[in-house]
Amino acid sequence: MDVPILKQGDYLIASILGALTDTALTRLQENLVRSVRKYRSKGVVIDVTVLDVMDSFAARTLRAITIMTRLLGARVVIVGIQPEIAFSMVQLGLNLEGALTALDLEDGLAMLKTADTKEQDRLRRHGR
Amino acid sequence: MPLPSPHIPEKFLTLAEMMNISEQELERRKQILQFGPEDEARLRKLAPVSEQYADAVIEAFYEHLLTFDEMKAFFPDPALLNRVKARQKEYFLRLTQGDYDLEYAEHRLKIGAVHERIDLPVKHYLGMYNFYLREVWRHLFEIDRVHPDETLATFFSLMKLTFLDISLAIDTYIDSRERTIKALQQEVIQELSTPVLPFREGMLLLPIIGQIDAQRARQLTEHLLMAIRANRAKVIVIDITGVATVDSRVANHLVQTVDAARLMGAKVVISGISPEIALTMVTLGIDLGPVYTVGDLQNGIEHAERLLGYRVERIPEACGDRHGEGT
Repeated sequence: MDVPILKQGDYLIASILGALTDTALTRLQENLVRSVRKYRSKGVVIDVTVLDVMDSFAARTLRAITIMTRLLGARVVIVGIQPEIAFSMVQLGLNLEGALTALDLEDGLAMLKTADTKEQDRLRRHGR
Repeated sequence: MPLPSPHIPEKFLTLAEMMNISEQELERRKQILQFGPEDEARLRKLAPVSEQYADAVIEAFYEHLLTFDEMKAFFPDPALLNRVKARQKEYFLRLTQGDYDLEYAEHRLKIGAVHERIDLPVKHYLGMYNFYLREVWRHLFEIDRVHPDETLATFFSLMKLTFLDISLAIDTYIDSRERTIKALQQEVIQELSTPVLPFREGMLLLPIIGQIDAQRARQLTEHLLMAIRANRAKVIVIDITGVATVDSRVANHLVQTVDAARLMGAKVVISGISPEIALTMVTLGIDLGPVYTVGDLQNGIEHAERLLGYRVERIPEACGDRHGEGT
């Protein structure tokens, strides 16, 4: 089953609905990067609330998505990592280095908006 | 939070296994008592005789035991007393049936464990062994006055075996006390150790006092992560003023905790690093990596407030401080 990618203004929301196979993860990576390009999105929120396992492949793919999306000029926020998952991830050394994280979808979108506002301010000041 | 942990359930182990009593250990105990095959042979020969006097000895013993008020409480009704007497007879006869192997030891350990569980004082336990030895001695001499040497040798064999039993029984007492104490200790530590305090909207305070070991670090992280979700926290101040020493293991635990919190979208500030700790950390080459650290709790809270967009201002009128006015 593919992960639905929803467009919400300047941002994309990829909401994972169930356990993902490695193929599905790879497809998510491709689809997301393509969608960012297509909609010229400024940010992506990936919601992993329902995941109760995070293996090294999933963690690596999420990191890859973060890096690839950044190359296209958009930010990625990963939201909804459960306490159990967070704990086992650090034990396995999967700390998603460099990725933005937030508690849930709401916080994630707020985070993207704040970052954008800050950047616009900076650009405006720079322009003057 | 259910986390997998490698743990062998104890109920599937025999008592001997739990107390590390192996073939070799049992053999060693016999060597210490100089208990050999000839002792076993003598005891086996004693079996038919011991059946003759078993009942008399046990009756006499319980008569003696029940003269103590505290012991009467253990036998509220006669049916129970009879059951215990029957058990006691089994135990008594087993002394002269040979095959003093691991199975024998397990049986002895079980008896010890049962007595420990009902809180039978050790003094009465030892009193029982002493009573038996004296009574058996008397009976042996009544039965055979012709060969005193042989009788004495048989008695010594019985004494060695009795001391083997005693060593096993006492060990069950010690073992089970140790277990109880350890369990209580763990409980107290768990209760005391990890308060997670909501300090402001979106901010948690986690003071750590005492030593951090692997188990505590794990528990601490668990509590913190659950609290982050429950309080929707964005910034956490971990105060380690009360942590006496920071070595590379503790630092590693802290980095893991910070990483786990970050995965849930929360920032962590570590406060309370004393000059001494800073010095040790540099000397040992410990690196907290990207973790944000500040000197004391006050700085930690102030920094956290800045991160959350709070501005704390002092209002002189509110506390009656008027020195700043009119100058």
